[in-house]
Amino acid sequence: MDPYDVEGGAINVRFLQADSTRANFLIQNFDLATANALRRVMLAEIPTLAIDVVEVFDNTSVLADEFICHRLGLIPLNAKNVDEALLYSRDCECDGYCENCSVTLTLNARCTSDGVMKVYARDLVVSGGRPNDEIGTPVIKDPEGLGSVIVKLNKGQSVHMKCIAKKGIAKEHAKWAPSAAIGFEYDPNNKLRHLDYWYEEDPKKEWPVDETNANIDGVPQEGEAFDYDAAPTRFFFDVETVGGMEPDTIVQQGIRVLQQKLANVIQELQGGEDIDMGGFGGQSPQMNGGGYGDPTAGSFSAYGGNASVWGGGATPYGATPYGQQPPSNW
Amino acid sequence: MNAPDRFELFLLGDDEKKVEEKDETRVPNTAVFTFNKEDHTLGNLISQRLHSYEYITFSAYKIPHPLFAKFELRVTTDGSITPRDAVKKCCEDVVADLEVLSRSFTTEWLGKRIINEGEQDRLNRERDL
Ligand SMILES: [Zn+2]
Repeated sequence: MDPYDVEGGAINVRFLQADSTRANFLIQNFDLATANALRRVMLAEIPTLAIDVVEVFDNTSVLADEFICHRLGLIPLNAKNVDEALLYSRDCECDGYCENCSVTLTLNARCTSDGVMKVYARDLVVSGGRPNDEIGTPVIKDPEGLGSVIVKLNKGQSVHMKCIAKKGIAKEHAKWAPSAAIGFEYDPNNKLRHLDYWYEEDPKKEWPVDETNANIDGVPQEGEAFDYDAAPTRFFFDVETVGGMEPDTIVQQGIRVLQQKLANVIQELQGGEDIDMGGFGGQSPQMNGGGYGDPTAGSFSAYGGNASVWGGGATPYGATPYGQQPPSNW
Repeated sequence: MNAPDRFELFLLGDDEKKVEEKDETRVPNTAVFTFNKEDHTLGNLISQRLHSYEYITFSAYKIPHPLFAKFELRVTTDGSITPRDAVKKCCEDVVADLEVLSRSFTTEWLGKRIINEGEQDRLNRERDL
């Protein structure tokens, strides 16, 4: 039996590395289409927080207003619980922005001494009234605690700006991407021959493999017969966070967002005119009971007995995807 | 500036529906589903996953035009199930798989973090000696 897969065919996860910045893991007994969908969702569709609107009160630096605004947008901000803690601004009842849909940061810096003064991400001051005391804080990882440089000022120059950070997804703008990069591969030894390597002399020398992954996946024997029906079942992920979210949160949120997407389709396909939760009358007894192993048609037991997944026992088929929020159209 | 807003990639229009079904009358047991404001993420996922069911005789998707955020999924079954129910069942099965994945991920992540912390404690103790 495969030493890395002792769960007899059930979908399972094994970790190679797990810390505050990276989750390096493999998913076993999974399928390529779902693994890739998860990868794509983690890249582009997980809500995070980023500066989206800037009011410029004063800018006498050498950089143009929009140049600095763009830089501000790209500064990673802590996105703790942003999924539930903030509304999308477009769904909020306010006009423009408010405490329910944004976090405000202020940048106010003036250079009064000779020489160049650098303005850093740490100089952004978060206003009170945010939903928790971490959200919106600029991500600062360097040992000096400075964060990224925003602008340099010479004597007498100053910048004063009010920055409105909003919830969004990377599909709208890459500044909302939760992950710096996601490593993804399967079949590192190319046993399935999905790849036809281009090479100068010897593909083995010119295409380095990830040794760790290659060993886990089993090095092929010389002269082994080719299995035409083989499909990949083991997928290697390496998720690195930008810093606003824990790496495990990125993965879990990715799973949720993908489930939500599918749930919307299911709802639509069963004639989703009725958006009231009671509208699934026939199903409702299943919603909080049934446990998991019964994925028979029409049963939503996958959601049963695990209310926390959808928050407070709300189901993804209800009108309010995550329970508390008003419908957000997607 | 006449560039379309980027959120038009994922927000449904006012009277737009997520999925529209159209029967393919020239071929039996066939339907074409148009998914609005979706892309390869769902297109590939559903069309490929459908191949694993015995009653599916054809399933594929296309994005008719790259500037429009929609894809078309064409599904043919053997008649024992409607294309609509086949797609629905497929989505439910993926959701269930993701649930198993999520649970395993949670357990293993916690385990790995505990091992890491234990390791760190040990290193700290050894350094302090
Ligand atoms: Zn608001």
